[in-house]
Amino acid sequence: MAHPWTTAYRPGRRALCGALLAAPLTGCAALTPGSGPDTSRTRTVPRATAVPAGDVTLRLTFADAPEMVDALIAAFHKRHPNVRIEPAYTQFADYVKSLKLTMASETAPDLAQFAVGMNDVAARGDILDLTPYRDAYGWRERFPATALDQLAGSGPGAGRHLFGVPAGLSMTGIYYDKRRAARAGVRRPPRTLDEFEAQLAAARRAGMTPLGVGALDSGGLHLWAGLINNAMPPRDYRAWVKGEPGATIRTPATLRATRRLVDWSRRGYLSESANGTTQVDSTGGFIRGGSAGSVFLVNGNWAAGQVAEAMGERAGFFLMPAERAHARAMASGFSVSYAISARTRHPQAAGAFLDFLASRASAKLVSGFGFLPPDGPGDTSVPVPEGVLGEVARAHRRVTADDGMNHFPDFTAPDMLDPLRAGVQKLIADRTTPGEFLDSLQDVWREHYSRGGGR
Amino acid sequence: MRAGTPTRRAGAGRTASHTERWGGYGLLTVLAAAVVVPFLNVFLASMQPSGKPVTGMSWPQRWSLDNYREAWSVAGFSELMRSSLVIAVGVVPATLVLAALAGYALGTMRLPGGDGVAALFVAGLTIPVELVVVPLYFDLRGIGLTDSYLGVILVEIALFLPFGVFWMRTHFRAAPASLVEAARIDGASSLTILFRVLLPLARPPLMTLGVLVFMWSWNQFLLVLVLVQDATKRTAPAGLGFFVGQNNTDVPMLAAGTVLVMLPITLLYLIFQRSFVAGLLQGAFKG
Amino acid sequence: MTARGRTRGGRRLRGYLFVLPALAVYLAFAVLPALHTAYLSLFDWDGVTLGSWAGLDNYRRVFTDPALRGSVVNALVLVVFFALLPILAGLLLTALLARHRRPGMAGYRLLFMLPQVVPLVAVGVTWRWLYGEDGLVNEALDAVGLGGFTRAWLGDFDWALIAVGLVGTWVLSGLCMMLFLSGVHKVDPQLYEAARLDGAGPVREFVSVTLPQLRGELAVALTVTTVAALASFDIVYVTTGGGPGEETTVPGLLIYRLAFSAGKVGLASALGVVLSLLILVIVYLVNRLSRTPS
Repeated sequence: MAHPWTTAYRPGRRALCGALLAAPLTGCAALTPGSGPDTSRTRTVPRATAVPAGDVTLRLTFADAPEMVDALIAAFHKRHPNVRIEPAYTQFADYVKSLKLTMASETAPDLAQFAVGMNDVAARGDILDLTPYRDAYGWRERFPATALDQLAGSGPGAGRHLFGVPAGLSMTGIYYDKRRAARAGVRRPPRTLDEFEAQLAAARRAGMTPLGVGALDSGGLHLWAGLINNAMPPRDYRAWVKGEPGATIRTPATLRATRRLVDWSRRGYLSESANGTTQVDSTGGFIRGGSAGSVFLVNGNWAAGQVAEAMGERAGFFLMPAERAHARAMASGFSVSYAISARTRHPQAAGAFLDFLASRASAKLVSGFGFLPPDGPGDTSVPVPEGVLGEVARAHRRVTADDGMNHFPDFTAPDMLDPLRAGVQKLIADRTTPGEFLDSLQDVWREHYSRGGGR
Repeated sequence: MRAGTPTRRAGAGRTASHTERWGGYGLLTVLAAAVVVPFLNVFLASMQPSGKPVTGMSWPQRWSLDNYREAWSVAGFSELMRSSLVIAVGVVPATLVLAALAGYALGTMRLPGGDGVAALFVAGLTIPVELVVVPLYFDLRGIGLTDSYLGVILVEIALFLPFGVFWMRTHFRAAPASLVEAARIDGASSLTILFRVLLPLARPPLMTLGVLVFMWSWNQFLLVLVLVQDATKRTAPAGLGFFVGQNNTDVPMLAAGTVLVMLPITLLYLIFQRSFVAGLLQGAFKG
Repeated sequence: MTARGRTRGGRRLRGYLFVLPALAVYLAFAVLPALHTAYLSLFDWDGVTLGSWAGLDNYRRVFTDPALRGSVVNALVLVVFFALLPILAGLLLTALLARHRRPGMAGYRLLFMLPQVVPLVAVGVTWRWLYGEDGLVNEALDAVGLGGFTRAWLGDFDWALIAVGLVGTWVLSGLCMMLFLSGVHKVDPQLYEAARLDGAGPVREFVSVTLPQLRGELAVALTVTTVAALASFDIVYVTTGGGPGEETTVPGLLIYRLAFSAGKVGLASALGVVLSLLILVIVYLVNRLSRTPS
């Protein structure tokens, strides 16, 4: 028998005729693609909050902290035995990629974790505006204002809505192994950036890997953002993330901060295979120690539970220091929050779950998993845990008190994550200059917001 | 070469010297090892205790199928494989029937413009999934065929038909024309000729096409990744792709999942090796 | 027209009833979407709101945007590993083995073609571990005293694309080898007899007898492997996700990202069209070249 490629493939006149024959058929598709927002669908939750009495099953998709979500669901089920929640976990990078498609599909889950791109989902009307519940349940008194602000949409009109409710808050910083640090002569967390740099150098001199970075996925951008948070006035940074006209990420200060990252990499302060290591793996290496064990580790509070369990008293945590001592405490952070699909048939039950997240029981659960409970203003009823979990919680209180929580930089635009991830990898490998890197981010930003993104 | 005198008996006479013979086998065995080692590595990893960081190739201390049980039930590979099976079972017979019918008409009847239609099918051999997947998502969503087995099945049939039609057409064309003529003179209708005369002769090519289509369907990734967002309807490769990042730390369990995804198609390959080899060597390509 | 003529004409057209089901499915779910892609490539559309006419702007960007252009270049580099290396390996093996029939070949053939049969996603996952920092590749390097050469292969700017490419070499080499070996066995043994009586050595025998006879198989191998390289997605998606930097992004990956997470459906469509045209041109050239000199 003959090969299709050699005997039959004569893409000459005949194939062309065939193609032309088919062409008129596309006539029926010849409309400008897309549609305006669907105005027929409900865009806001109902005013009523009463949970229906019958059996209800809600589906929840999420990307962070599976154990915590299971525990929250179990606790919620105890209060509302007629409501069952089926969780579906997806790894974060894939979650972000498929989020818009998932939420636009007719089989969208009832509840979904808020992530990058959710603002666009909100703009399309695929998730519900929760403001009636906010007022009915009194969420403004029970969650910190900054946490709710981050969930209020983007672009013009931002702030008037609410599209998600936080279960736990997240924050990045730096873990360290006290035993290994002592071997390098480091006995306390650094108070300034220069002191930190000196500690990294000391760790390197002592023959250890100074700073563990899992830059294969998002560890690299946490490191970069940590430096940027302290280099840029928070107002300017937040204007950039929210797409306010005239905002820019390229300033002399950010250039300096970015240059520092390149510098650290050149001097061998970062783990050698940072670009080939995922965040999870870099944490694993930090915990296991051994030859790959680093003295410091860039990661977020979500790793705190794992670090505390494996290392106990040996582990510590601090925020990326600023240039000056006693400066405003800054960190990147967001919340593990959930939104309600506009296609749900049970908005009241879903709302009850969100309200459960504001409860004391939920806060206790959440802090047990290394997340920071979303205490309302001045609420200190949840006790600060011991060890590294306590260090994370105290650092978080400082950041909240200083209003120092910045959005993660990839929240700027749905297609910002890839340039950020790839760009920081290039910085680490010395394949791009800080100027080029910042320009490329600004290009993505400009394109997104000039197209009317985020509205 | 030792003797250097080829005997007269063609073919059978091409005997090898010892060095050449064993050198040849040696080379083949080295290459075979290169093929086997990655498979062996993933298999051995799947036998390590769950959650253990796996380094290089290490012999398990204890043989156990725990990871497989875990992957099968807890991680949901049983559901993933069921979805894959449902889709493949939908795609294979439909493709065979449609390809046989079209191949028969285009191969044995002189249809006006038939060659053009055949060329249109052949042109489809070059369509990469990347070219069609974007509008398919939006079009199928519009008619409710995303997150549905039917949507994936229809698209896969369409993507595999160019090869299928070509394959069956080539076969039917090679069938002796006298056979068809004789049947026609006896007053047999076109359908009768196809089912009574030609198809019984076409079992080997149909078989080959069937296993190839099953393989392409089982292995399809990008299409399912886009068209199926519903986690409960994902196929085995799509599930594995989603799964990779999640369980970075639990390599043994993920390895077990990987073996599970490879197993059905490998078994099929071993059972139907003749059809597979024939198909792959006769110009099929990975779908 | 006579009655007889009419029935014959009718019968001929009735033949289309057999073609119609296949044609309908093929047109509706492959040809139309392909044309729809070409159509979408002329718009600036985020997949949600109303799009706007963009003309050829998306195509301009495919050729000027470094990331997009880079992905096409990466795909072309992959052709070296997916097509050239397997074909060279196949030819070498054929040259070494083809002079004699060997019992037991069926077993080897079965094994060599196995990588071609299993899902590429599973292949990618497997190689991800092999290339890992603690993976088998580094372990092997350590064992032979090349410990200084170890690295996280998939995270290395210089090596990631090569590492991904070699996975393709691993997958496709067996197919090429078996394709050529089976092609050689169709060669009339008398051609070899004649060459040997002329005193031809292994090299001359290969060049003057074997190679010309493999023209068809070469064309098939080149087409199949080149398409596999240009349209690669699965392996890259699970091994590197396109990184580090943009070292291993391929068009397929960008099409997926642009259309479904970045909301640039038009640009993704334009890239899809360019990719398909590239494949079409290469397939056409290969088959053209394989035919002319005969």
